[in-house]
Amino acid sequence: MAEQKDVAAEQAAHEPSEKRAHEPMSMSRRSLFIGVGSTAALLGLGALRYAGHTPLNRPPGGQDESALVSACIRCERCYEACPRKIIIPASIEDGLLGMRSPQLDFSSNYCDFCREENGGVPLCTQVCPTNALQLPADAELGNPETGERGNVIIGIAKIDEYSCLAFRDTGCRACYDACKYDAIRLEGTDTNPRVYVEADKCNGCGACESVCKSLSAGSIVSGATYRAIIVEPVEAE
Amino acid sequence: MKTKNLRTFIAAAIFVVLAAGLILGVSFGTLSGFGWGDFSLLCPLGALGTMIATKTMIPRALISLVAMILFFVVLGRAFCAWACPVGVFDRLRAFFRSPKKRKELEQAKHDEMLAISRQELEAKGVSVKNAAASEEGCTHNCMTCGGCKPVKHGKLDSRHAVLGGALLSTAIFGFPVFCLVCPVGLTFATVLVVWRLFSAGDVTWSVILIPALLVVELVLLRKWCTRFCPLAGLMNLFSRFSKTWVPTIDDSKCLETAKESACGRCAMACEADINIRHPEFGERTMADCTRCRACVDACPTKAISMPFLVRAGHKVTLADAEQEVLEGVQQVERSVETVLNPLDKAGE
Repeated sequence: MAEQKDVAAEQAAHEPSEKRAHEPMSMSRRSLFIGVGSTAALLGLGALRYAGHTPLNRPPGGQDESALVSACIRCERCYEACPRKIIIPASIEDGLLGMRSPQLDFSSNYCDFCREENGGVPLCTQVCPTNALQLPADAELGNPETGERGNVIIGIAKIDEYSCLAFRDTGCRACYDACKYDAIRLEGTDTNPRVYVEADKCNGCGACESVCKSLSAGSIVSGATYRAIIVEPVEAE
Repeated sequence: MKTKNLRTFIAAAIFVVLAAGLILGVSFGTLSGFGWGDFSLLCPLGALGTMIATKTMIPRALISLVAMILFFVVLGRAFCAWACPVGVFDRLRAFFRSPKKRKELEQAKHDEMLAISRQELEAKGVSVKNAAASEEGCTHNCMTCGGCKPVKHGKLDSRHAVLGGALLSTAIFGFPVFCLVCPVGLTFATVLVVWRLFSAGDVTWSVILIPALLVVELVLLRKWCTRFCPLAGLMNLFSRFSKTWVPTIDDSKCLETAKESACGRCAMACEADINIRHPEFGERTMADCTRCRACVDACPTKAISMPFLVRAGHKVTLADAEQEVLEGVQQVERSVETVLNPLDKAGE
């Protein structure tokens, strides 16, 4: 027993010096492992770029999707800056690449390009520190006061005739009343007209979606999860 | 208030204020992009990433980067100890550890650092005053383990590899890749998704995935800040040149040099895995000092101070020109001290 112990002690005494001789000069084995592992993981994460994500309604200035993805560092300043609180983080369901990037949510309010709050200069674009949200030089923003459509198109409204109340002879025309750009047309002269989107007049401000009553109590079409009029990203078409 | 508590309080307060701002929509930004109105100060890694990805010079990003580099040169990794929420998580975790586990961890660090101190004192040929204790306390059997080995400090470490990997991936795929998994960003994202879950009924897998990612990084990847964090790696590249407020040992007070008694409390206390008394034995070097003051507080003889400039006697290799400047500054300091000392004493 005593002999065995001595042998073990001797081995232990020798081991470190041998190990030391095999160690690389500047980086320990652990550092190498961490470095290689993390780099592989980060390259894998980078490859998400090719996986893409669901097209989203972006805040004004975020219409160039690849520029937005390249520059956005998820600092969340645009969420805070939005006076109407309609900028929300994209969720994992929209794809890992876009997760936490800014998208517009028209469930309770719409985008007026900060006409009312900041004289027509969108605050989200103004505060974005990395220019992920940046209006092109020739940008003309929609003006809800004059009804000019502009050339910054967030998306185009689309009506689901199956769940739309107007198509059920209810006389609902909430979206028509909300639209500032005459992009909703009434058809049929009787008391229950149908509503249609005039795509070439819509800039995706979301006013129609924010007032749509199709999901409210008493007007539920079974299985509907979205309102009957929603703004769809231009890319989706 | 102890510095440790003060630090936790400040970092927690910064987090709470920014998180409240995020919820209430008060525009302060987050630690990834702090600011209001047109003014913003970006995370240096985010600034670098976004410029590499878009291949353009973004004014606000460039200004932030330069400002941050200046900050690192002056204050080292102070952000890590005083502002980063990850440090708060670590302290929270330590708080909720079972007393048994906490004692075990503390004991292990205690034994290791004490063993290093003893070994180094013995190597100098002094008879260690408190050597007897080693036979009871030390779990490292110094006779068989061949002594505590010094760490070979290269110019770069594993965090620089992570930093390099992140920037490489950013350059190849054209988006700031690390931002997707940055624990600081994920912390604020957690606040936002949880808030939205309750306020807007926004049910999404993000509510589970984002905190889960945070847990994986901070719990499973042990010693995130010392071994993984690319931001710490970036800071290290510049903080290594910092000569301001660096903890300095007064050898005439230190137990090990003045009393030849093994102590190692400064190394036990250090949250950045630095051994200030025996730098060659710490996992990291003084370049990674976070100015947390843990060593200053831990020193039983108050031998450690954080002078505005490193003084003579502290081993720093300087160019001749730098040495002249330093001596000039020291002369000024000494003259200031001769004026201030009597005032201090009068104050006491």
